[in-house]
This record gives sequence, structure tokens and C-alpha cells, in this order.
Amino acid sequence: MTIIGKITYHASRLILAGVFIYAGAVKANDIQDFAGQIANYQILPYAWNYLVAATLPYLELLCGLLLLLNMRVRPAVLVLFALNLIFILALLSAVVRGFDIDCGCFKPDAQQPTTPLAALWRDLGLAVLMIAVWLLRYAQMPKEID
Amino acid sequence: MNSPVLSPTIRRIVLEAVILSVLACVVGLGLNFKLVFNAFSGQAVSDTPVVDTMSKALTQDKEIEDGLLFPFPVSMGELDEFLADGALLIDSRSVEDYHSGHLAGAVSLPLGSLDAQLEDFKQKVPLERMLITYCSGYGCPDSFELGVRLLEEGYQEVMVYEGGYPEWRDAGKPVEKADQ
Repeated sequence: MTIIGKITYHASRLILAGVFIYAGAVKANDIQDFAGQIANYQILPYAWNYLVAATLPYLELLCGLLLLLNMRVRPAVLVLFALNLIFILALLSAVVRGFDIDCGCFKPDAQQPTTPLAALWRDLGLAVLMIAVWLLRYAQMPKEID
Repeated sequence: MNSPVLSPTIRRIVLEAVILSVLACVVGLGLNFKLVFNAFSGQAVSDTPVVDTMSKALTQDKEIEDGLLFPFPVSMGELDEFLADGALLIDSRSVEDYHSGHLAGAVSLPLGSLDAQLEDFKQKVPLERMLITYCSGYGCPDSFELGVRLLEEGYQEVMVYEGGYPEWRDAGKPVEKADQ
């Protein structure tokens, strides 16, 4: 892999790690608030919002840590990519239904809430980084398990 | 048995992704078991309900007099008992939300138009009546703020149902629309 490929790989990996460790940590710090943010989407039955809020932050944290440590990178990216797809679908549904809500992506009580449309663009950007990490990881070590 | 579509490497990655997901779920549920259990069993979601959080925020944000009362939180499980004792449900959401669906028997008193409706409300509802406010579930502060205002106006028993309309509706409890 070229030096540009290596820089792109590590930069993308570290950006994703930072984003998801931060996102997971602030949500895990206030599960109830995060449950309220999920409930604002009006997709899940009420109690299920708490189930998702109780588990999702730890998944983001775990995958973010693996990316930071450069271990099990492709399994972590696969999980995050699947999560990102779900986020994008949820945000799309909020945009289509005209909901004026905070996306709930990061700090639940953020002073400047992120609209679903802005969060949608950000998630699409993250998806590009995930694809880059997946492909460049493969180019780096195609025969390795991870 | 080998899949003709997925290479062994990809299958290994998928398997590890599943293990990661299960591990994170186990950790999350382990740390928040009580919260999730309470949410599914219709109880108050934690020992430190939104009312505590809101009361702290209120005391930090505003200069308030000593002795200001805060409404007491009630769970869905307790609500039936209070309603049987004659409590009045008060919907603090917007009129539009109230029209689209509310707890059976609730009256509308939106926080946003409280000043305009308060005198009329006080004429109809005696100060001794037990009141239970609600709004759009957890994370919605309107029911708490309405409860504080009603206590300030002299109502003696004011409580907040934190689960609000979404929890009540999703539990299959009776709801009404405004035109019913």
C-alpha cells in the first residue's frame, strides 16, 4: 500500500474511532436522556427505546475502541456500517415526516441541536470513511483474518 | 458447510461482528438492567427520575424561593390507583397533540398557553383535587414545569406521570381523540 493509502487508512480509522467513542461515551453517561431522543423518532414502542438506549452506546464505544487500537478493524467497521445504515433510515423517516427534532447523535442536551437533515449528511460522510477503512484494511493485509 | 457466496474471511468477519454486538448488548443490559426492566414493566424508569433532574436544573437556572414544591413522580402502575381515587389527568402538550390522542379522561392544559387558561381552570377545578400532569414521555419537561406552576397556584396534590402519552398508548391503555 502506498504512503497516501496508509495515511488515508489511519486518518479515517482514527476519525471514526474518535467520533464513535465520543458518541458512545456521552450517550452512556445519560441513558435516560438518550432514550428520550430515540423516542422522539416515534419508531419504536415506548419501552423498546430504553432497550436500544441501554445497549447502543456500548456497541459504539466497543467498536470505536477497536478502531483506535487497530484491532478487529473490519468486524468493528461492519458493525458501525450496519448501525450507520439504521441511523440513516431513521433520519430519513424523520425528514420525510417533517419532524423538527434533535438527531440524538451525540450529547442529548446539546445547546445547538443537530437537525435530522444535517445529521443525514454527516452519516453519509461517515459511511464513506467506513468504506475507505474497510477497503484499505483489505489492501493492507488481504490474507489476514481481520 | 462452506457458503458459495461468502469467503471464509468474510464469514469470520461477520461472525466476529455478531460476537461484538452480543458482547456490547450484554454489557449494556448488565449495566442498565433495572432501567430496561422498569421500562418494560411500566414502572418509573429509575431511582433518579426526570423530576429530580428537572428540579436540580430549575434550582440552578432560576432564583427560587426556599420551600418551592416539586410535583411527585408516579409510574404507570400507580396511575390506575390514583385515578380510581379521583385524580384528574392533565395533558400539558399542545392542543394539536391532545386532539390527535390523549389519555382517556384527560383535560388539555398546554404549558404554552397556561397564563391564558389558568383562571378558567382554577374556577373549574378545586385546589383540593389531586392532579396528574403528563406530556410526551421521558425527556419532555412540560409536565414537570406545569406541575410546578400548579403547585405555585395553590394546588395541594400535583404529580407527574413521566411515561406520558407514548408509554400509556404503547401499553394498550385507553386513549381518546378529542372528537370522541
